[in-house]
Amino acid sequence: MTLIAENVSMAFGGLVALDDVTLTVPDRAIIGLIGPNGAGKTTLFNCLTGLYAPTSGRVLLDGRPLEADPAEAARHGVARTFQNIRLFSGMSALENVLVGRHTRIKQGLMSALFHGPAFRRSEAEAVERARAELAFVGLDPAGDTPARSLSYGDQRRLEIARALAGDPAVLMLDEPTAGMNGSETTAIRTLIGAIRDRGITVVVIEHDTKFIFSLCDHVHVLVRGRMLVSGPPEAVRTDPRVIEAYLGTTECSK
Amino acid sequence: MTLDRPPVRHRKPAAPELPGPAAVLLRLRAPAAAVLVLAGALLPWASVVLPGGAYPDLATLQFFDAPHLVTGFRLHLVLLGLAAALLPRARKPAAIGVIAIALVHMAFLTGLGALSIGGPVTLAAGALLLWAARAEPPRPRMELKTPPPAVAWLVLLVAFAALLWLVSATLTAGGQSRATNPYGGAEFLAFLGFGLAVAGVLSAYGVLAWISAMSERHRIFSIAVLLGCALMLPFTQAGTGYWMTVASSIGVYAATAIGLNIVVGLAGLLDLGYVAFLGIGAFTAANLAHAVPFPVAALAGAVTAGVFGVVVGSPTLRVRGDYLAIVTLAFGEIFFRAAQNDIGGLTGGANSIPGIPPINVLGLAFNEPVGGLPGGSRYYMISVLMVAGAMAVLANLRRSRTGRAWLAIREDEDVARAMGVRTGRAKIVAFLVGATLAGLAGAVFAHKLGTVGYESFDFSESVTLLAAVVLGGMGTVPGAVVGASLLFVLPEKLREFSDYRLMLFGLALILIMRFRPQGLVSSS
Ligand SMILES: Nc1ncnc2c1ncn2[C@@H]1O[C@H](COP(=O)(O)OP(=O)(O)O)[C@@H](O)[C@H]1O
Ligand SMILES: [Mg+2]
Repeated sequence: MTLIAENVSMAFGGLVALDDVTLTVPDRAIIGLIGPNGAGKTTLFNCLTGLYAPTSGRVLLDGRPLEADPAEAARHGVARTFQNIRLFSGMSALENVLVGRHTRIKQGLMSALFHGPAFRRSEAEAVERARAELAFVGLDPAGDTPARSLSYGDQRRLEIARALAGDPAVLMLDEPTAGMNGSETTAIRTLIGAIRDRGITVVVIEHDTKFIFSLCDHVHVLVRGRMLVSGPPEAVRTDPRVIEAYLGTTECSK
Repeated sequence: MTLDRPPVRHRKPAAPELPGPAAVLLRLRAPAAAVLVLAGALLPWASVVLPGGAYPDLATLQFFDAPHLVTGFRLHLVLLGLAAALLPRARKPAAIGVIAIALVHMAFLTGLGALSIGGPVTLAAGALLLWAARAEPPRPRMELKTPPPAVAWLVLLVAFAALLWLVSATLTAGGQSRATNPYGGAEFLAFLGFGLAVAGVLSAYGVLAWISAMSERHRIFSIAVLLGCALMLPFTQAGTGYWMTVASSIGVYAATAIGLNIVVGLAGLLDLGYVAFLGIGAFTAANLAHAVPFPVAALAGAVTAGVFGVVVGSPTLRVRGDYLAIVTLAFGEIFFRAAQNDIGGLTGGANSIPGIPPINVLGLAFNEPVGGLPGGSRYYMISVLMVAGAMAVLANLRRSRTGRAWLAIREDEDVARAMGVRTGRAKIVAFLVGATLAGLAGAVFAHKLGTVGYESFDFSESVTLLAAVVLGGMGTVPGAVVGASLLFVLPEKLREFSDYRLMLFGLALILIMRFRPQGLVSSS
């Protein structure tokens, strides 16, 4: 499945957050998206997942235009996490993941009312899968802790498990290691590799350039709403425009 | 960036070690308070001898007449005092119970023109006890081991039988009305305070969690026993025509509140006109009552209300939060005005619809006494079954794809959409299920009362239902039942305060929001 942003522009009132951005997310790859704060990375994610309708341009999923509706994007296999963690904080970890599996569970209202054999089978399957996702990201498969009482790092993992539960073709991670220490970051890097090995395309926004250049197959650099450079990590790393516009800023410490 | 972590509560640092006598005094607070509670219970409570003859219940107020008769609220105070003396964990709930009992009685005595003597002493004792309990370091949670099945069943049987006794005692506490006992309201409220204190003590020792873990493990058994216990109520002291009528009204409102709990508690959709669905069910059944048997009328009431639920739900999908509340408020008001003006000749307007026949099964009218049981018993049984059914609906949906989608919408609607939840459809289903339950309850309501008028469905009823849901615990299964029972039995008990009803509910809600925001019954 390929996800394409075609000449996407997004303006908030007078502020142009995205300016004619084109991005192709190919099958089975890890795509890195970097850029200074306020460059429009999250806005691009929001356009690609149907949360925002682009002011101009369009988003294509397998050649078909994607409605500006996150529920439809999710149904078609585009899953995501959020920069500022957005879990269903009052629900248990397991229930969070089960909501992530929502689109793949078949249960009618009547069967849900009476909890008949077909319902119980479908529920057991869903729970089994949700537990497997919890284990996959390294959380307790029982999952009975309320999401809000998990540690910060575990909340990030839970968001990833929730996104994976819906059998996505593309998983978009918005700063998955923000606020994490070195060993936690390494663990997330391993996790992203494992997700790619499951045949899922990963699009990841990151500030840690070492992380991005060692992990990604393609890297896109967004600066002030414009796609400055796109290409393989080697080319992007040595591109003078990137060094000037991006690595020249405070982010070059690593 | 928001970390969304639970706020950390910082306890005040422990008071610095005080030298000698002061430290001893501080440590003596709790035992002293317990002794003071016992003393307060035994002191005379009224400064004047209240006219006793006609009101035998007032005898409990007259210490001098019966110095050794420790009954009623005095017995409760003695029990709480003993608990505070012997059981360290019981101190806080006991203190709250003592304060509640003392406050209630002092307020009522003042109202009757008497000065209370035992009251202030007991109140001071309760405050001292609370102070002592709060100063103690937090204790780890008590965990009791799960016993083998045979023992668990026995425990569950005893627990549910005790619950039946408690419900029956609470319902009848303070007697029927002001005509027979001017002090009934106080006795009821004080008993309620005692009941909550006992629940608090049991909870502090892990007994409630233990019982609920057992009932979760033996789910079918528990449900059967609980249902059996509920159906036994007519055989207790509450088995009079009057209490059965009260209890079946509570059942009707409880079933309605469960429906509202789906809409508000699970899906988080604030509905301020919800009682309209009860009304739609009631008027539908009332209009059909002479034409079709009860089950058909009930079904028609439920379906009609459900259809209106969808109709009201659809245009509200585009609005969120406050706007949704306003739209539903308007719908409730439109329904009320339409019913008042007898639109379409369906509601009888100011004349109501009178003469609705009682439910009649196999030639046996439901309002007549049968087999030694009072008249209202079978309405009570029907409402118990209806409440049980509504609870099953809530519990089953809560643990399904649909229920999880509702909770997700309540928690974060945008993210729910990003997870693929079609939020519009999910909301309509919530309105549909909730309204259907209310419509069903409305049909029973119509037959039980025999007459349906628009006044039963005004805004304050919607507010009371909402208060019942919040008070009981949003989204929990027993919460709405507990809340509805309290809020619909209180006006029955406190007729002299009927003018202040909404104000008192408001006060109760403020207290709940401050001290127990998750409601009386919490889900975890
Ligand atoms: N919903 C919105 N309304 C108004 N302005 C927005 C909105 N979302 C983002 N912006 C603005 O768009 C710009 C890009 O933001 P964002 O995409 O969050 O950047 P990044 O994720 O690269 O740090 C910022 O100037 C931000 O203030
Ligand atoms: Mg961002």
